[in-house]
Amino acid sequence: MDGRVVGWLVLATRLVVGGVWIVAGALKIPDPASSVQAVRAYRLLPEAVVPTVGQLLPVVEVVVGLALVVGLLTRTMAVASAVLFVAFIIGIASAWARGLTIDCGCFGGGGFDPDAAEKYPWEIARDVALLAGSVFVAAFGHRCRWALDHVLFRRTPLES
Amino acid sequence: MSKKNRAEDRAARAAEARAAQQRAERRRTIRMATIVAVGMALVIVAGFLLTRALDTSKDVSATPAGTSEHGVTVGDPDAPHTVIVYEDFLCPFCGELEAATRDDFDRLAEEGSLLVEYRPFNLLERYGDYSPQSTNAFAVVLEESGPEVAKRFHDLLFDNQPSESGPFPDTQDLLDLAVEAGAEEDAVSEGILEVTMRDWVDDATAAAIEAGVQGTPTVILDGEVVSGQPQEILDAVLEATA
Repeated sequence: MDGRVVGWLVLATRLVVGGVWIVAGALKIPDPASSVQAVRAYRLLPEAVVPTVGQLLPVVEVVVGLALVVGLLTRTMAVASAVLFVAFIIGIASAWARGLTIDCGCFGGGGFDPDAAEKYPWEIARDVALLAGSVFVAAFGHRCRWALDHVLFRRTPLES
Repeated sequence: MSKKNRAEDRAARAAEARAAQQRAERRRTIRMATIVAVGMALVIVAGFLLTRALDTSKDVSATPAGTSEHGVTVGDPDAPHTVIVYEDFLCPFCGELEAATRDDFDRLAEEGSLLVEYRPFNLLERYGDYSPQSTNAFAVVLEESGPEVAKRFHDLLFDNQPSESGPFPDTQDLLDLAVEAGAEEDAVSEGILEVTMRDWVDDATAAAIEAGVQGTPTVILDGEVVSGQPQEILDAVLEATA
């Protein structure tokens, strides 16, 4: 593929994935109690860490999202984004498999939701698409357009 | 020194300079990446302190067990430990909490070491009429038939909890359960079928929200919120009363 096309595609993907993270995190930050409840409802983590994870996740989401949008440590942040999506896909799939009916808490909310079973496939599909985007940015992030990384990590031309 | 040697020497010096420059560049890159990473970590820590301060999960100030108008108590009012359970008859986690804790709570109440108060309220009306109708039926039974029958009715409601996606029992089914619990049919039928204690339900719900209850089940042991899975909650109560 043409290098310039890849560069613009990476930029577009960064904006979409980063934008989703920012929205998802920002919706949760004002109400950490719900976020903690959403994490607890998955029944995957011991209670000792549930509050910390519920309080920390929204902040991490916003930071990862902002870093992707402005292009700061782009590839590392894309890897972090991919890891988070893998974790969320596992969480939702396991809730589905165990017959739990919970709101995924992806964009705030969380806990009991009687219509959850119909939503799981869509939530997983969305997260898989965003995971693919993250992997794409991680793989080609060095070629992307308009990233703060280019300013901070400018290559000095070698004298010969 | 021959011309050839001088040329090689120059090439070697140039290569050395290039290598030194690359090393310097790598150092600069690592330093910059470290600065950025530390900056991000600081932002995350600051944000975490903020969300931790904003987390109101533990800020429930419920009226002490035995003093609410919207609950049924089991056990000695002077028991050394108290548990308050805010719940919704439709909420599946409440059903699981009931299944996991009821036998032990009843036993501890009987032994005199625990006072338990169940405070049902209407959290899940957005999913249908069952939450308000069942809470209303509970209120009617509590008023007409007294706390012992109301406690049995409460237990039966959870034992027969509908699937959260329905089909939901109607008010006639609720009346049948109330009679099974020991209520006089004539005394409770109008109240349950016509949903006459809707005000009580709304007051109970307002009181729960006012107290800071954010979801169900919310369990308060000796004035402190206990969170976790049903077994963890039971363990906390068993440990306190041991």
